[in-house]
Amino acid sequence: MTSLIASCPGAASPGPLDHLAAQRVTGALYAPNACFYLRDGAVYCVEGTASPGTGARLGAAGRLPAERWQRARETAGPTHRGGQFLVGEGWLTQGELEICHLGALLDAAFFALPLPPGTTSFTPGTAHWLGVVRAVSAAALQRATAHRRALLDRLRPWAAVDAAPVVPVAPADGGPSPATGRQRRLLESADGRHTPCELARALGQSAFLTLLDTRRLAAAGLVRMPAAPAALPRRRPGACHPVPPTTQSPPPSWQLPVPDLLETPDPDVALLVRLRTALEENL
Amino acid sequence: MSGIDQVLAQAMGIPGVLGAGLTDWTSGLALGTAGRAPHDDHEAAAADTAEVVQAVVRNATFGSADAEGPGLEDVIITSAGGYHLIRFVRTAFDSQTCLHLWLDRAQANLALARLRLRELAAELVAA
Repeated sequence: MTSLIASCPGAASPGPLDHLAAQRVTGALYAPNACFYLRDGAVYCVEGTASPGTGARLGAAGRLPAERWQRARETAGPTHRGGQFLVGEGWLTQGELEICHLGALLDAAFFALPLPPGTTSFTPGTAHWLGVVRAVSAAALQRATAHRRALLDRLRPWAAVDAAPVVPVAPADGGPSPATGRQRRLLESADGRHTPCELARALGQSAFLTLLDTRRLAAAGLVRMPAAPAALPRRRPGACHPVPPTTQSPPPSWQLPVPDLLETPDPDVALLVRLRTALEENL
Repeated sequence: MSGIDQVLAQAMGIPGVLGAGLTDWTSGLALGTAGRAPHDDHEAAAADTAEVVQAVVRNATFGSADAEGPGLEDVIITSAGGYHLIRFVRTAFDSQTCLHLWLDRAQANLALARLRLRELAAELVAA
């Protein structure tokens, strides 16, 4: 049985996750690029397409071979006790499973929240094969995701590197060098062909932190910004309404700029465009 | 073999401890809590701890970019009334968590608490 959940527009209004949490439901919430599993309204598993899952993280680190993860999935069966099986076999400790699983949950939730209105469906009763390793309240999960979003937004001028292949720039003599070991390893694995999220999946590491580090490296000039469009983004033609010649001059009216035309990877140009837009809005 | 709750329960046995928590320092999400928190707000304690850790982690001064393997170990904050002790949890896989203790200064032994917290951080992921 699948029921569509209507959600309210706007970031501050409660979304589908809040409604399900309030109803203390058990089941699976399907979103465009992630699936949230709930038990009694609390989120205990999130699987997403943008970030590596628990099994991928353990596998990439050499902590748990993919065959054993697969074995647990097959053994879990209708009782959904894959997590207990992994710990019971001595393949993982309870602490490792909890920490790795929560890390994967947070990372997948980051790329899925806030849920776009009208895009989710909920199936009551559906459970994840791993079982409830540890649950997080929907409200706390959304606050945590907003906190991560705020960290990324501080580096907004370098947002263009998010979806582009990571191209390292050789530092000049005496120029900046990577601030952390994580950033240095990211540069080492960047081959100029893979995006931050693809690198995160290959390395089995947090996709959020990979994005954050890529933006920081771009800000330091150690990762190349994608090529900017040749010309400055243009306003929509006729954005300024022609004022008919009258004796009384009416206030000029402006239309909002076309968002697509304002996308530019160059932080300086982006700043100028934002400034121009703000000036126009206050005319 | 210990999970988050068992390790936090053990942390509550450290002399002078008032409260303990395990926090994801990239988001400030409290993954587990025990005992009390300043102003009775575990969530605020987790968020504030995460902010301190982020400031330490992103700066080259506190962890050399050339260092291989585990770098950062503890962050210690002392005040007139208490100690705040933060311990990075090292795992074989990629993770971003820290254990933290709130200690009563009159009761606690900072050196002892640090050693115990180090043991507990290792026990959390030990086979």
